[in-house]
Amino acid sequence: MSNMFSEEQLSLRAAAKDLFAAECSFETLLAELESDAQPDPKRWNLMSEMGLLAVTVPEEFGGLGLSVSDLGLILEEVGYAALPEPLMETAALFVPALTRYGSNEQRERWLPAIASGEAMPTYQPMAAAGAAYGTIADVALIEDPKGLFLVEASQADIMSVQSMDQARRLGRFDRGTATTLAGPQAVAELKTHGRSAAAAVLNGVSRRLVDESVDYAKERQQFGRPIGSFQAVKHLLAEAVAGVETARPAAWAALADTASGAEARHYAAAVAKSSANSAATTASYHALQVHGGIGFTWEHHLHIWLKRGKALEELYGAANELDRELGSLVLEAGDLVEEFGPKITTA
Amino acid sequence: MTNTAANGDMNAWRREIRTWLEANVPDGPLSDPEKGHIGDDHRDWEQKLYNAGYAAIHWPSEYGGQNADVASRIIFQEEYERAGAPPRATLQGLMLAGPTLMRYGTADQCDRWLGPILRGEEIWCQGFSEPEAGSDLANLKTSAVLDGDEYILNGQKIWTSGALVSDWAFVLVRTDKQAPKHHGITWIMVDLSTPGVEIRPIRQINGASGFCEVFFTDTRVPADNVVGEVNNGWQVAMTALGFERGVGRRTYVKFLHELAQLRRFIVDRDLQEDDAIQAELGRLFRKVMVYKYHVDRTVADSDNGKVGPEASFNKLYWSEMQQELYELGMRVLGGFAEVQDDHLSFPQVREWQDTYWYSRATTIFAGTNQIQKNIIAERVLGLPKEPRK
Repeated sequence: MSNMFSEEQLSLRAAAKDLFAAECSFETLLAELESDAQPDPKRWNLMSEMGLLAVTVPEEFGGLGLSVSDLGLILEEVGYAALPEPLMETAALFVPALTRYGSNEQRERWLPAIASGEAMPTYQPMAAAGAAYGTIADVALIEDPKGLFLVEASQADIMSVQSMDQARRLGRFDRGTATTLAGPQAVAELKTHGRSAAAAVLNGVSRRLVDESVDYAKERQQFGRPIGSFQAVKHLLAEAVAGVETARPAAWAALADTASGAEARHYAAAVAKSSANSAATTASYHALQVHGGIGFTWEHHLHIWLKRGKALEELYGAANELDRELGSLVLEAGDLVEEFGPKITTA
Repeated sequence: MTNTAANGDMNAWRREIRTWLEANVPDGPLSDPEKGHIGDDHRDWEQKLYNAGYAAIHWPSEYGGQNADVASRIIFQEEYERAGAPPRATLQGLMLAGPTLMRYGTADQCDRWLGPILRGEEIWCQGFSEPEAGSDLANLKTSAVLDGDEYILNGQKIWTSGALVSDWAFVLVRTDKQAPKHHGITWIMVDLSTPGVEIRPIRQINGASGFCEVFFTDTRVPADNVVGEVNNGWQVAMTALGFERGVGRRTYVKFLHELAQLRRFIVDRDLQEDDAIQAELGRLFRKVMVYKYHVDRTVADSDNGKVGPEASFNKLYWSEMQQELYELGMRVLGGFAEVQDDHLSFPQVREWQDTYWYSRATTIFAGTNQIQKNIIAERVLGLPKEPRK
């Protein structure tokens, strides 16, 4: 583990990791994929008991009062476990948005309930076909070019959207009865949140693909030895792990910059999501390749991460959009070393 | 080891270095060492650094350094690159020969060689690779036979960077032909003015002669020049290479400079509105910034000089990134990519061409990227080694 994290951050991560390992087994996830029934609220309740839902909720509303910079490792675990529930949308998007832009009444109405697990929020970004767990959540924030809109599930028309990753249980909220929470400025800020957070989740998905493949390559024997002893296989996995491990610190930095409101946060978030996307492509291709035929079966479970990764790659900043944005930034910048190089902080 | 360099205040350290460099970095580039000698301007620069206490900040203070930890070293390197300071003439000595002497050398050896390295008075090169010993370095054959109190060296080294301008070489030689190949190797220091040493520069594809062949024909070297124990040279060499691994000589600042030049070409060629070029530029910017965050993490995770496993990704990462960066530049230059006529071309095109070809070597030297991937797969992921005959 990295020295970049505090004891508190590490213990939250450990708690999340243990919980998800227990509650997100392959059998459980596959069963949920195949069932149309409402998912068991047990996992959400366990997460609230552990404080995972309250991480970014301010203390005055019953939360831990931490920031999105404290979410980095937890979000990686969300991806690592392919957690179906919208923990990312809750902790990195809905809660910070409501805290910052909501009225006192709105904050009091929703934040304590979220921290305690009674209410499940979600977030519907502009580019998405629907919000994660949209057919189950109690409340949502919808993005629109005009701003952010708060809508209660009980008062909204929610259209169920079929996803290739059915665990996401997408639901599309109509803006109809929604209350305006904030203007377009908020959308720009939440974009930074979304990109950074989605990058961290995606890196967790990618790392899981690497770990599954390494385990497989050590076990699977052909030509009288483990396939992982062949250089061709080794190189695929080396490339995949190098991609993920170099992407991770970018997501951590972006979350830290987002939390602190640093000027760099916008491009840091784009850099984070862009590198996570690239790492995800490599991990996805190499993981399936290493698994061979068995990786292509429904029963084997690799597809859970392949599909989660593919969906997240294209949400909260797809490759071409991010690359052009960053390219434009570089073209319009002044001296690159002055603008993006090391700074001396004036005390 | 307490870090006396920054004394914990990294911001103040950075300010100190930046201020000093601003006042002292020479205007314009220094002379080209490939002409066969290190010019006075290089010596002057090394002397200036030495006088300011910056010649080798990572060395222990008792040897003239500042006990700089990894974090301080990276800050120094970032500022050095930011200021466009001259390339060091003494890197092999400062980064490899010196630290190896401190770890394995006798007091006499340290007294003899460390001072001149630090003051830039003696220049060193590395005699490791041979025609039959590249990735498989342990296959080296240059022999050293003991005759009284001297070793007689016979053999050949290749790819020896800077040999033509060097005074000394640290050389890996075979002292036991019967032992298994990793166990019969010795590390020995060789004065390149010794009779029987012949240095031949090798012309590279970009026309430069950065590296050389070094031939030893009955070259007599004092047995006292062995560092570490006889036949223990492999361990000494691996430790030496370990000093390098993880704390790179390149920070993201150098790549920001290169990105800036790439941007200049894009503007010169009027390609700012080209969506594809814009996207590729953005991708490269992303890679450069990712490198920054990656090094920050490597620094945070290093403990008393020892680096964590993510350090193995360093070389793989920056070498591929640099190649992509220079490749894009050549594409942007289009018809001018091949042109060397200064009056027909843009400023800096020659330099870009030369560095483009150099970037092609980066995936080969310091451990090929294929070897790096093997190391990552085996040491980071724990995948089994390939069975060898």
